[in-house]
Amino acid sequence: MRRWAHRTHLAGGVIALLGGACHGAARQPAGQLTLTDDAGRPVQLAGPAQRVVSLAPSITELLFAIGAGDRVVGRTVYDQYPPAALQVPSVGDGLNPSVEAIVARHPDLVLLYRSAHTDAAAQQLEQLGVATLVVRHDALADIGRTARLLGRATGRDSGGQAVGRSLDSLLAQPLPPVRTRIAYVVWDSPPIVIGAGSFLDELARRAGAENVFHDIATPSATVSIETIVARDPDWIAVVRDSAGDAPPAWSRRPEWRAVRAVREGRFLLLPADLFGQPSARAPEAIARFIELLSHRPLAT
Amino acid sequence: MDRVLILDVRDVTFRYPGVARDALRNVSLGVSGGELVALLGPNGSGKTTLVRVALGLQAPLAGSALIQGRAAAAWPRRELARVVGVVPQREDNLFPQRVRETVRLGRYPRLGAFGREREEDRVAVDRALERCDVTGLADRWLWTLSGGEYQRVRIARALAQEPQLLVLDEPTASLDLRHEMELFELVRRLVDQQGLAALLVTHDVNLASRFADRLLLLSDGNAAATGAPADVLRREQAELVFGWPVAVSSFDDRPQITPLRRHS
Amino acid sequence: MKWLLLSAALLAALLAGIVLGPAAVPLSDLLHSPIVIDLRLPRALLGILVGGSLGLAGASLQSLVRNPLADPFLLGLSGGAGLGAVLAIALHAGGPWAIPLAAFAGALLALGLVFRLGLVGGAELDPRILLLGGVAVGAFCGAVMTAIVSLAEASELRNAYLWLWGGLSGASWDGLRVVALCLPIPVLVLLAAARPLDLLALGEEPARHLGADLRAVKRRVYLAASFLTAVSVAVAGVIGFVGLIVPHLGRALVGGRHLRLLPASFLAGGTLLVLADTLARTVVAPRELPVGIVTALVGVPLFALLLRRWTAY
Repeated sequence: MRRWAHRTHLAGGVIALLGGACHGAARQPAGQLTLTDDAGRPVQLAGPAQRVVSLAPSITELLFAIGAGDRVVGRTVYDQYPPAALQVPSVGDGLNPSVEAIVARHPDLVLLYRSAHTDAAAQQLEQLGVATLVVRHDALADIGRTARLLGRATGRDSGGQAVGRSLDSLLAQPLPPVRTRIAYVVWDSPPIVIGAGSFLDELARRAGAENVFHDIATPSATVSIETIVARDPDWIAVVRDSAGDAPPAWSRRPEWRAVRAVREGRFLLLPADLFGQPSARAPEAIARFIELLSHRPLAT
Repeated sequence: MDRVLILDVRDVTFRYPGVARDALRNVSLGVSGGELVALLGPNGSGKTTLVRVALGLQAPLAGSALIQGRAAAAWPRRELARVVGVVPQREDNLFPQRVRETVRLGRYPRLGAFGREREEDRVAVDRALERCDVTGLADRWLWTLSGGEYQRVRIARALAQEPQLLVLDEPTASLDLRHEMELFELVRRLVDQQGLAALLVTHDVNLASRFADRLLLLSDGNAAATGAPADVLRREQAELVFGWPVAVSSFDDRPQITPLRRHS
Repeated sequence: MKWLLLSAALLAALLAGIVLGPAAVPLSDLLHSPIVIDLRLPRALLGILVGGSLGLAGASLQSLVRNPLADPFLLGLSGGAGLGAVLAIALHAGGPWAIPLAAFAGALLALGLVFRLGLVGGAELDPRILLLGGVAVGAFCGAVMTAIVSLAEASELRNAYLWLWGGLSGASWDGLRVVALCLPIPVLVLLAAARPLDLLALGEEPARHLGADLRAVKRRVYLAASFLTAVSVAVAGVIGFVGLIVPHLGRALVGGRHLRLLPASFLAGGTLLVLADTLARTVVAPRELPVGIVTALVGVPLFALLLRRWTAY
């Protein structure tokens, strides 16, 4: 009985000590950051990140846009924009990340695009003691939020705020009237179009072009050619890496001639560096879109 | 009686490629119309090899194998199938089939790939079914038949080819007493009534002795003895070839071999 | 009687493919609508040709390799076609017909390779070697294809798998003409092999004793059936299940004699594919399902029903 009492007292003493230590840690020392990422996780950083590995092209672009490009020490092989990003060493694939390659860059922060694939990698990095932030931006409205978050994480608050404000003002503008109808075709066999779940749909709308497949909620979907014919868009929008005026090769196939916009050569050739991913340059993209709408149709 | 020699194998020697010993050495075999010849011998004595050489499936290193006077290997396969009906040991019918359909396949050598089926083909099939006493089974599925019935159906298919020579490779291997007797009786009947020539490979020495006109006893690729059953199935001969002590008795005027017990 | 039923089913499927679709075309406009004339009609007809080819090839190959589970795509052709398509995309091959031509070439190469394997060591197209060789070639091509897709940077490559999934979206009158020209000879070769295939069903030895020229028949059947499959995969990608199930459907309908089974397999295959494609286009409109999924969803219950019949014998 006595021995048990001693143990209880000892335990009580230890708990009191620990409690004191925790309470002490709750008071943040100067420079420490607490952030909440898009997965709802609270993340603590000792200070603004100095060595950042970005695992998505859109994240890399945003980092440069808010002025944190000098902090980026790793990118994925698909990150092509801005040109300065090509100087940063690649750590491989973003959707199926190589944790080894990432850790080899000695990052103090790793930014992942939120998806089922990256959850596992995020956990592994956490276990290795590397701080991770998971972000997701499908809609234009998300870009500003992500920019601000990245700004805080890298100590480039002003850059983040600037991008955020730019996008806020864009979104604050009323939607222009619909002047034309378009469809995005990203693949031909089978035909894949863009739906309302993609930022491209939003970009088009803000340029005054209604996506005829806005009723599809997902970012993309397979449809029959006859559906495209029936919905009769005025323009076919194509996002492509290469430059040049030539319409896509598949437009010469006989079955696509049933689509009026293909027959008439009404293609919008959107450069991938501006339209390939949601970015801070959204206002620029919209302006470019409007400009392309005024061009003459291509010879097919 | 003047019988037509259909199968004429003379002094054949054969060795499988890559094997050290001859599978057959100087073996001769002849089968004429109206006679039943049984091919006997222990496992590995060369019975199946002899049949393959006789049918032209393997070329002998020495000697000749003629069918109706022409080299067996020279016969186009479809023509040969009009003269020789073979019931091999194994058949593996993948898909469900009815008796009449499978017997009808025997008409292929006379129809070819595109020939239309004629009245004579239908008649031939009916006749084959009748001769093998399986007319009543004509619409049954093959997989519902007993072992004995299935063997008779296979013989009916061979008969539908309207051959001169029937070759049966161990046709009674897994049949019970009644079905085994029925099969031997059937072959004997076909030989006697239709004048067919028949070559029957079997392990059943005693039934072969009672039903066959002549026997060929193989041992290690050699022809140990050939001729009437009484001349072939002598005690010393049988003990040497089969490697087991036997007693010889007589039934139906034919020698019968009874293996003795080693420890009694 | 059964043939009337089969033909009627085919016509009904064809009509469904023309009348039904995600775009609403009023019946009165049916004969003039460009959607019907330029899109639905060639697509339905292509469905008949491709489905028929796969059904016929499947029936022939199942008898050739003596395996009721054989499928035309077991012989490595889909791997070869996929590899060809991926190479065409990765190398940015020009021209609208680049992918189908490359897929066709890839399928033929795989065909040749497996054929050659089947002759190794003097074996005369031993069914086991054909099956194993086909699986090996297909796996090898698939691995190379995956490697290219994961290493190369062209973003279009990620869509290459979608092409492989199969579909009739590329149907046009031009393409239909080319396919129609390619079919008659292999189809005739297979029909001519109907009787020898009946014999082969007994086993190689009995077939030989019944007079079949096995060497010639096996080569012709293998080459003709594979060629039909290569043409199908070039224009429509890999559409699974048709080649596997249709022969069994045919057997259940008209029995095992190949003179009846082969044409029945062609008709049934065409009907099944057109119906599946019509469903694929309309069930989740405006979206479209990959037709290979529909053939599996429709085919598997059918197959299960047939299996019950099989064991009920």
